Amino acid sequence: MSFDFHEPASIAEAVALAARFGTEARFLAGGTDLLVQIRRKRVAPRHVVSLHRVPGLDTIDANGEIRLGALVTHRALERAPAFQGALRALVEGARVVGGHQIRNVGTVGGNIVNASPAADVVPVLLVLDAAVTCVGPNGAREMKLDEFLLGPGETALRPDELLTSIRFPAPALRSATGFLKAGRRRAMEISVVCVAVWLSLDGDDRCAGVRISLGAVGPRALRSCDRPVESSPRTVSRSRTSAHRQPTGGFSWKHSFRARSGQR
Amino acid sequence: MSRIALALTINGQRHDVLTEAHRTLLDVLRADLGLTGTKENCLEGECGVCTVLLDGMAVDSCLLLAAQCQGREIVTIEGVSSRGGDDVLARAFIDCGAVQCGYCIPGMIISATAFLDEHPSPSEAEVREALAGNLCRCTGYQKIVDAVLAAGRTSGTETRGDAR
Ligand SMILES: Cc1cc2nc3c(=O)[nH]c(=O)nc-3n(C[C@H](O)[C@H](O)[C@H](O)COP(=O)(O)OP(=O)(O)OC[C@H]3O[C@@H](n4cnc5c(N)ncnc54)[C@H](O)[C@@H]3O)c2cc1C
Ligand code: FES
Ligand code: FES
Repeated sequence: MSFDFHEPASIAEAVALAARFGTEARFLAGGTDLLVQIRRKRVAPRHVVSLHRVPGLDTIDANGEIRLGALVTHRALERAPAFQGALRALVEGARVVGGHQIRNVGTVGGNIVNASPAADVVPVLLVLDAAVTCVGPNGAREMKLDEFLLGPGETALRPDELLTSIRFPAPALRSATGFLKAGRRRAMEISVVCVAVWLSLDGDDRCAGVRISLGAVGPRALRSCDRPVESSPRTVSRSRTSAHRQPTGGFSWKHSFRARSGQR
Repeated sequence: MSRIALALTINGQRHDVLTEAHRTLLDVLRADLGLTGTKENCLEGECGVCTVLLDGMAVDSCLLLAAQCQGREIVTIEGVSSRGGDDVLARAFIDCGAVQCGYCIPGMIISATAFLDEHPSPSEAEVREALAGNLCRCTGYQKIVDAVLAAGRTSGTETRGDAR
């Protein structure tokens, strides 16, 4: 492996470098995916564009709507006071990524753009209905994460675009999230399957909305489509069995995903 | 490919290095600076023998370009005992019989140093979780975990002693 190293000091400079070198360039965030891929000769960039000197990409903004800079590390997600309550799935997802050494440098932006079907933070962001902002030479565009992810290693990001931030609504008053991962051992393991859930209740304890996402069981993380949920009051707080019997609106996988995989 | 001039702060000392962009911090530490206490094995972030502290955080130096370390504080196993009190950890590893072939130990000590800085009196489960990124093929881990717990207790006592 051998390449030139660039350290742009602004988003505009980073994007200009990416536009100039096209597919010969790769952005470097934590490098925990990129350096492994370079070493395995899966990619051989001639130019590596480090994002570390670009200011403002590593902040978590949680006043109202939540905004994560693309360079926010798993370590920062785990420790963010704003995510200890209704958004706890972010903590639960981030803290099972690799070991400390990986979480201390690996970023949420890298987790998304790397587009591994088993990326652990991605299902959490999907149930939070997150949107991503991408900046290219012609300005910024925003799209739902659900539309951004196409397949293994494949996203809607263009080679000259930088993922700058991820945003999602502040949690509703009576909502909660959770994340669980199953691997072959308890730590430092790729997910065999992982699941993220978002659930919200209305004032009568009715289930007002639910989203479920599964990682590592398809070409990309899957998300149930948004449909109104039929539920009687207190379904959720009643016993497990009665909750099980309660019919929900049911869900099928997002049509965009179905249509895409059907084409192949 | 062009070479880059780097000023690296390693164990409190400045080192000027001229290197290619693709070389990792691990390459520079071992081959250029002769700091071979940091070990090399999988080169993919799986085993943790290459762990160093970067601005106080444990990171795998095999997955870090040297060029990314400009202006940051690096501490290797050679420097860890000069940070006051960390001999406690080395002593605990010896006292607990936690060292067999020794290859994983520098990485274990670095991970444990960063961890104890943040969690001065951890539980056994926390210690095991903290060392998940460090593999050992000899000891079966129990004595390593015991050593970190013992070091936590000792430095906890010393800190409390100092405060009095
Ligand atoms: C030992 C080990 C264990 C791991 N365990 C897990 C695990 O349990 N769960 C898990 O989900 N992942 C795991 N990973 C994968 C990886 O650590 C994560 O996906 C991490 O979040 C990647 O982030 P990064 O910043 O290191 O990405 P990088 O390696 O820097 O980048 C990854 C890709 O994204 C691109 N990129 C990065 N940031 C941007 C941006 N802002 N805009 C445009 N493109 C960008 C890069 O060009 C590159 O192609 C593991 C990796 C290792 C080595
Ligand atoms: S050599 Fe770096 S983690 Fe194994
Ligand atoms: S003591 Fe031999 S690998 Fe740990």
